[in-house]
Amino acid sequence: MRTGHAVESYDRLIALSTNPVTWAWTAVLLAGLVMLPLMLSGPMLAMMTSVLIAAVGAIGLNVLTGTTGLISLGQSGFLAVGAYACGLLIRDLSVPAVLAIPLAGLITGLASLLIGIPTLRLKGLYLAITTLAASFIIIHIIKHAAALTGGPFGLRIPQVTVLGLPIGNGPGMYYIALTAVVLVVLFVNNLMRSRSGRAWVAIREHDIAARSMGIDIARYKLLAFFVSSTIVGIAGALMALQLRFITADVFGLFLSIEALAMLLVGGVGSVAGAVLGAVFIVFLPEMARALLALFTSAGETGSALVFEIRIVVTGALIILMLRLEPDGLMGLWRKTKRYWLQWPLPV
Amino acid sequence: MDYLLNLVASGLVFGSLYGLVAIGFAVIYKTTGVVNFAQGEVMMFVLYFAWMVGSFVDAPLWMLLVIAIVFGSLFGAVLERLFIRPMLGKSQFPIIMTTVGLAIMLRGLVPIFWGVDSAPIEAPIKSQLWQFGPVFLLGDQVFALVVFLLVSAATWGFFRFSRVGIAMRAAAHDETAALLMGINVRRLQGLSWMIASAVSGVAGVCYALIIARAPDMWHIGFQAFPAAILGGLDAPLGAAFGAAVVGIVASLSEGYIGYGLKEISGFIIIIAILMVRPYGLFGEKELERV
Repeated sequence: MRTGHAVESYDRLIALSTNPVTWAWTAVLLAGLVMLPLMLSGPMLAMMTSVLIAAVGAIGLNVLTGTTGLISLGQSGFLAVGAYACGLLIRDLSVPAVLAIPLAGLITGLASLLIGIPTLRLKGLYLAITTLAASFIIIHIIKHAAALTGGPFGLRIPQVTVLGLPIGNGPGMYYIALTAVVLVVLFVNNLMRSRSGRAWVAIREHDIAARSMGIDIARYKLLAFFVSSTIVGIAGALMALQLRFITADVFGLFLSIEALAMLLVGGVGSVAGAVLGAVFIVFLPEMARALLALFTSAGETGSALVFEIRIVVTGALIILMLRLEPDGLMGLWRKTKRYWLQWPLPV
Repeated sequence: MDYLLNLVASGLVFGSLYGLVAIGFAVIYKTTGVVNFAQGEVMMFVLYFAWMVGSFVDAPLWMLLVIAIVFGSLFGAVLERLFIRPMLGKSQFPIIMTTVGLAIMLRGLVPIFWGVDSAPIEAPIKSQLWQFGPVFLLGDQVFALVVFLLVSAATWGFFRFSRVGIAMRAAAHDETAALLMGINVRRLQGLSWMIASAVSGVAGVCYALIIARAPDMWHIGFQAFPAAILGGLDAPLGAAFGAAVVGIVASLSEGYIGYGLKEISGFIIIIAILMVRPYGLFGEKELERV
């Protein structure tokens, strides 16, 4: 493990990572992820696909909430826009799925500007309430525009392929989602070390100071809204392709809260944290069930109230993380690393 | 005309339910600067507990209200002490997320403790029919309206005349100055949670009387949001007035425009209000200094 960090040129300062060890481990992780379908059974692979899709959504939300500091409780609304846009593009307009996914993201990004522009003046609490209200309105429109979206009967997406990979619950969908995650991680990590990324962090830290440094707040806030929602829309499109049947009820309020829980658990503001949080939160119901099974015989109490147990555990986790480790798993990792490097000196 | 009046009356009845919850929002926000996203869930939890205790002793309606108020204030004090006080002084995001986490915990705990079935609360008052001109109201609806008016008046009187209420206003206006004048601000913040939870308990009783006790009662918390925002989050009486407006608008839009608008009209009001007057009709404008 390296013990010091000094860079001598600007190029190296803004490089994705200057550390060959990081690159090596990333390559190992990627190779492992590519090999995964060879080792896992059907349901486990479907779960890993969900993890990857959740990671895309969490990275998207992180751009808005973690990096720019604009709290959004309306994630589920944007996921719904992306999912329905993708589904309708494929079903009604016969757009090839490989184009439908980015297009659905773009449509969601543009739709988010409708909410972003009037809420530019708001921040903190009021923005959270507005985005919450917006998500309720979006879901309401989807439910009642039955001619377009099927309303309460839902939307069924025909079996199509993305570059030869079949959608649904199989290795094909896994590779589609994995590609999306890799592209989004690269895109956001690159964006974070660009002018826009630094502007967003400045707005989060102190918007008035950022303004006086010459950052056009309105423009960069809207850009954050657009980029974040585009990524979230892509996550929604992937959800639609995985489920192949969507109704408005899939996109409940709990989905928004779960997305924020992913950020809090992983560590607000970092891409790696968002991915870690997604892994943790998607596997949380399974872990809770395993834990319950230890105390009760074969987990018979848990069977009827699975959803209730899941939301109680998620709520408790949010509160515990905020209280004990506000920087999330990434914070814990940084602390451990620093402790290790500095030992025996105090941190 | 009769149709319009009846819609307005039913809007007022729902507005009074929203209003009781919205007063809870406003009391907490005024003294602590925290928006309690768990207000609807607190209401549900307090009502379920009161109903459980009440069904042991076969309690009449007034006793149910008393149980809800007593348990509500205890529950509020415990929640504040355990969850909110350790978070004070942190930034907006962790505090909001703490109340959100609390909300979904309570939402899951109610069905785990008391089951998922819904049932109305029976009381002799429900079978009465009141007539005001062309408007007909059931006894439980009149009850909710009267309770709402009483609670609003009590809230106004409390903040206007009582020593504690005035201290709360002082603490809300300038926390440091209030501290220097010898006001125990922390205790007031605990008290505001007690008041808010007790009022939500009352709201829960009215709700269960008119509709039913059900594990999705917490929805009314979101319906009360627009009311609190419209009236101004830091103005309890404004929140009560906002609730009446939101209730009437919801009822009229559903009656004249289309089914399903009742749930959504409040959120459209929120977005409109936040664009024009983010601090509400009666709230104080916040000045931001560098």
